[in-house]
Amino acid sequence: MSSQRSRQHSGSTRISDDQIIELVSKLRQLVPEIRNRRSDKVSASKVLQETCNYIRSLHREVSDLSERLAQLLTTIDADSAEAGIIRSLLNQ
Amino acid sequence: MELLWQNGHVVMQSQNQRPFRKPPPQPNTNGGDGVIPDREIRSSEPQNYATNQHLFMQEDEMASWLHYPIHEDPPSPFDHHDFCADIFYPPPNATASQNNSAAAAKSSVRTEELRPPPNRPPIPPPRRPPNRIHNFAHFSKHGNASSSSKAAPPTVVDSCDTPAAAAERAEAVPRASAAAGLPAAASGGREMATCDVTVTSSPGGSSGSAEPDQREPVADRKRKGREAEESEFQSEFMLYAASVFLSPPLVSLQKDVDFESPEAKKQVRSTSTKRSRAAEVHNLSERRRRDRINEKMKALQELIPRCNKSDKASMLDEAIEYLKSLQLQVQMMSMGCGMLPMMFPGIQQYIPPMAMGVGMGMGMDMGMGMNRPVMAFPNMLASSTLPAASAAAHLGPRFPMPPFHMPHVPVPDSSRMQPANQSDNNMLNSLGTLDPDQSCIPNITDPYQQYLGLQQAQLQLMQAMNQPNDSKPSTSRGQENQEKHQSELTIQMVRIADSSTPHIMGIVSFSGI
Repeated sequence: MSSQRSRQHSGSTRISDDQIIELVSKLRQLVPEIRNRRSDKVSASKVLQETCNYIRSLHREVSDLSERLAQLLTTIDADSAEAGIIRSLLNQ
Repeated sequence: MELLWQNGHVVMQSQNQRPFRKPPPQPNTNGGDGVIPDREIRSSEPQNYATNQHLFMQEDEMASWLHYPIHEDPPSPFDHHDFCADIFYPPPNATASQNNSAAAAKSSVRTEELRPPPNRPPIPPPRRPPNRIHNFAHFSKHGNASSSSKAAPPTVVDSCDTPAAAAERAEAVPRASAAAGLPAAASGGREMATCDVTVTSSPGGSSGSAEPDQREPVADRKRKGREAEESEFQSEFMLYAASVFLSPPLVSLQKDVDFESPEAKKQVRSTSTKRSRAAEVHNLSERRRRDRINEKMKALQELIPRCNKSDKASMLDEAIEYLKSLQLQVQMMSMGCGMLPMMFPGIQQYIPPMAMGVGMGMGMDMGMGMNRPVMAFPNMLASSTLPAASAAAHLGPRFPMPPFHMPHVPVPDSSRMQPANQSDNNMLNSLGTLDPDQSCIPNITDPYQQYLGLQQAQLQLMQAMNQPNDSKPSTSRGQENQEKHQSELTIQMVRIADSSTPHIMGIVSFSGI
């Protein structure tokens, strides 16, 4: 990324701007915080920041859920279907 | 900044209440110059002139008074129209001490004027000193009288480029240069040098050298404090003020090319300077913004696993996909957490396949619907319970409320499915009948179609196996069939999820248990 930028700074900037705008809008739709803000002028840096935060929170949630599923796994029959489900979920 | 009129002399009243008096030696009608409109000259009540000794005058103050004739309360007998004259010529009642103080102030001011240029943008500062020097030279003859050292105007200061101080300033220049070691930058010294040149040429008086020296350091120190506050505009004002007093034909010294320019030129210069500065500021802010964005993109890239894209756009693409898959995963896991405990009680007899079916359904829903897992779930449930219609009927109402508002859908479906359970052939029909029901569900799009295809595949499998437990999930019963089903289903799901991200593929793959 940096090399490309340095290679053709203005060119990459020109190309990336539209793409970045589009992608940032996509991200905005995905990240609930920004989606609910109803603001058309959320800056790119803000969107990126919120995306990072959202991903981190999702990671935390996944780890929490994995923990719970692991606990559930211990309480059920290891050969049961549910165990299979849980294991699959945990192995993702 | 205000210009106060004290004892017939113009006293600059700064915001800090530091008036500065400048006896102008040169008669000049500068009232018309409106270059610096934001300064107002106001005559104050007569104050003890001695107080001036402790007061600073800032450049802008000086500039202001240059442009506004003092008509209020003119205690001095001078003609107010002749603004400069009033300023330059010490009032008859002015004491020698006052004159001295004024002179000292001027000299110190002069010194300071020379110093600030280094801190200012290069344009105005270089011009100032020469002008001032000229002014001083021009007025030096007047300044002689006031060159006597004053008791104290240590505060005088600011570089007001009043011509009044010309003589003393000129005098002070050489001394200021000596004292310039303190605050002035090298450029200040440079300017001093130029001033020296002119000073020597000026006939200025040489009296009162001692005091200016004393005052200069003080003024310099105070000047330094204020220099930070001084703006380029001020320097421009000073230049302008100087030009007001100076005759236009004054020769511009080395750097003072535009000094004798009229107001318009000064305005143009300041405008262009401001514009360029604005552009610089804009570029800087733009660069800062881009840096912020790049830094955040790097952070995002670190969060995304297995992201080896160097392109911003593709990296953002991956970020979007990863975010979606993460959301899906979280949904699935939370649903699994919520459903599994509920599945255990009493359902095991006929539900394990169903449970797996449900799980599979959820998985598939997740795989296809992303954020819309509810859609295909009832179909899945219905199809999976076909072999065990009663189970389906039982399962429907007993099905725990998943976190994704699914339950309301399965119930009608399962009830609908019951009559169709009689024959496998009816399954497809039921599926067909389900379609319109499903179509009523919002958000039914391609994922649903995919799901439907998967259902049909499952139905085919189930029909082929014709086993009571031929649902997709793995159980101890009929493992072979189940395995076959699972593999078939896996294939189907893989096909369905081929458009999904690798993460989702991972989710789907669990069907192959």
